[in-house]
Amino acid sequence: MRTHASWLVLFLVLHSGGAAHAQSSASNPSAGVLRTFVACPIYRDTDAGRKSGCWLADDPSSGIRYDITLGPVKPQVGRAVLVEGITSAEPTTPCGGRVLTPVRTAVLPEPCARTIVPADAYPGRPYKSPREQLRPASEPRTLPPPPYDTRVFTIYFELGRDFLIYQYAELILEKISLYAKASQAKLVQIDGFAATAPLWVSARTLREPASLAEARANMVAEALRRLGVPSDCLRVAWHSTPQPTHDLESGQLPEASKRRVVITVKP
Amino acid sequence: MPVLRRLTVQHALLVALIGCDHATVVAPDAQRTTRTPSVADSGAAPPATRIWPTGGSGTFPSSVSYATDLGTITTLNVSGPIETGLHGFFSPLGSNGRACITCHQPADGMSISSRSASQLWEETHGEHPLFAMIDGANCPNLPARERSSHSLLLERGLFRIALPWPPMAADGTPIEPEFTLEVIRDPAGCNLDATHGLLSAQPRVSVYRRPRPAANLKYATEIGFSFDPKNGLPLVLDHDARSPNNPTPTSGNLLADARLRTLSAQAVDALRYHADLAGEPNPTQLQQILDFETQLYTAQSSDSRAGVLTGAGAQGGPEALAKAPAARLQSSTAKPIWGEFAAWKLKEKDDHPPAPANGPVDAQRDFRSSVARGATLFATRQFLISDSTGINDTGFGNPVRNSCAFCHNMLHAGLDVAPGQVDLGTTNIPLANPLPDLPVFRLTCHLTAPPHPFLGRVIDTHDPGYALTTGKCIDIGKITAQSLRGIAARAPYFSNGSAQTLAEVIDFYDRRYALQLTDQEKLDLQHLLEVL
Repeated sequence: MRTHASWLVLFLVLHSGGAAHAQSSASNPSAGVLRTFVACPIYRDTDAGRKSGCWLADDPSSGIRYDITLGPVKPQVGRAVLVEGITSAEPTTPCGGRVLTPVRTAVLPEPCARTIVPADAYPGRPYKSPREQLRPASEPRTLPPPPYDTRVFTIYFELGRDFLIYQYAELILEKISLYAKASQAKLVQIDGFAATAPLWVSARTLREPASLAEARANMVAEALRRLGVPSDCLRVAWHSTPQPTHDLESGQLPEASKRRVVITVKP
Repeated sequence: MPVLRRLTVQHALLVALIGCDHATVVAPDAQRTTRTPSVADSGAAPPATRIWPTGGSGTFPSSVSYATDLGTITTLNVSGPIETGLHGFFSPLGSNGRACITCHQPADGMSISSRSASQLWEETHGEHPLFAMIDGANCPNLPARERSSHSLLLERGLFRIALPWPPMAADGTPIEPEFTLEVIRDPAGCNLDATHGLLSAQPRVSVYRRPRPAANLKYATEIGFSFDPKNGLPLVLDHDARSPNNPTPTSGNLLADARLRTLSAQAVDALRYHADLAGEPNPTQLQQILDFETQLYTAQSSDSRAGVLTGAGAQGGPEALAKAPAARLQSSTAKPIWGEFAAWKLKEKDDHPPAPANGPVDAQRDFRSSVARGATLFATRQFLISDSTGINDTGFGNPVRNSCAFCHNMLHAGLDVAPGQVDLGTTNIPLANPLPDLPVFRLTCHLTAPPHPFLGRVIDTHDPGYALTTGKCIDIGKITAQSLRGIAARAPYFSNGSAQTLAEVIDFYDRRYALQLTDQEKLDLQHLLEVL
């Protein structure tokens, strides 16, 4: 298994123009609009305690600075970031950018300027632990009660990666393993998907390699094996050109929803 | 200080000294000259010197304490005294005269310091089994009983660890590395040696590492959470357990490179490699080793400046360590790490910068408050952590604002509750301290593999670390965080002995992460580390 099997085969194609493609081209400041762009992330060194720094990105098509801090995966200075988020009416006061929420970001291989700016009186946001977190191993788990019918789970990924996102994926995986155990599942079907269709954004084409679907599926299978799901229950398949789903942020992030693994537990 | 308060503190100290069951407080001027260990509660005869011999009969008591430069280190043997004769931990089971005790000494916090190594060299003229050529020399091809052949052990406390190249899983399965490995510099001559090096019949990479303490092991082995956030997967299962049909998750915190994940596997490997045991160990003696090392708790128990470390409400020393549950995550607000010393915080009205001491009680109070400040700094002082694989590439962002306790987050021990493989820069160039006596390897990541996220495709390093276990570029230079308890007794520091003192450890972090610590803050952190 390769943790980052897809890294090199994420296609980044530079175009001379690109403005016509961008969903980010509009400068409409209203809330509820999807913005998708690639930028060099900016770290604003706010200090409201641990993990409280702000992440900002300037949409190259509009020049608008967005606050992308609320995504589950944080960017890396020096590496380009794909931003997919919904404009909100939240105040810009914490970080100094229009807030995108929900928002997904993905670190791209493309190098960027490393930009760290001072807090400039912006307070940042105190870190909040996710509402639901993995419990310590010392706490006993409760198996889900019957009825046990076929259940479907979905895990979403960053663009170009098969990495299981911390404080997100492990909760789903544990639920799957507990449900498989409780229901004495005969089959756990794992279907990996990669967004192989080109995504035109900020004068680039982003496209996941087909092999990433397999890598994602295998990653989930390995995770479930380590959580005690018997190997002979697991069936792995992979697919390209998936359709968007509606269960990632209520369908507001259709491109991001293509990067997924669907796990079907059949008792 | 008002007279009444001073008397109260003095009284408290006196009570603490009298009431101390295990620790023996040694006067500062008696520290290194004290040759006889103090054994507190067993009545067993102590060894003649501070270094326990290999082999021979005797009793290892339920508590044993040794004077250090700074006070006393105490090791509790919580299941009671054991006879050392024929015991697996104390007996040489292989052919080179070594036993586990050779390199895991209670006076050195169940590791071994370079100072003890030097002492043994002087006392035995290099004849002690510690200096076995297989790993106690810079390379087995060097002349025996010459000091220069053992310089890495004598000066940095390092043992040679010869690892297979290409890497191999614990079960012997070959691992195809994502990188090539060249030797750029080879001061010891071992990596280019025809018999022991990369071009030998059994190619080996020789790296040089400090032995980890054989104590406080519940902290290194228990599971905090079932997932490893650093690689996104549940913990690695132990398929080599004695119940192969019921594999169990492993903490990944046992060795610097996590190549072995259970105490049993580690013990067998150590017996074969370090003690030159052919074949399988005797099951009874192997079980003795496992039983014994898991009943040991070691920590600093008294300090020449602070007094007993359970004094005035503090909860230092090994007793609390033995009783506390392991693998519990600290919380910088609700339950910060090193809360053991919270009782030593000065009240606000007393809080003043350390001033020239007006007497022993003021000096003690000032030192204790310095420790408490160090504990607070450790848990809460925020700084930007950047370009560190295992942290900044796992979704937290690069940089991320956090404290020392971000990684050293396990209550009572300072280990990482998650498997602690992180590249802090202690082995990778250019961030590592200058180490002209260690080899330099150049690792070049294949074009088909993802490069190292922060160092690119070509990386020079003194020790590839975890990458020699996984074969992955992203793991180059990752070293598992280790327990901080009893650390003052086991210099030098970091896995490659690149810091001779705790002050150098703090300086490394200050430089690496631009902490901009004041001199007083550095001292506070040093004082904290000295009493752990």
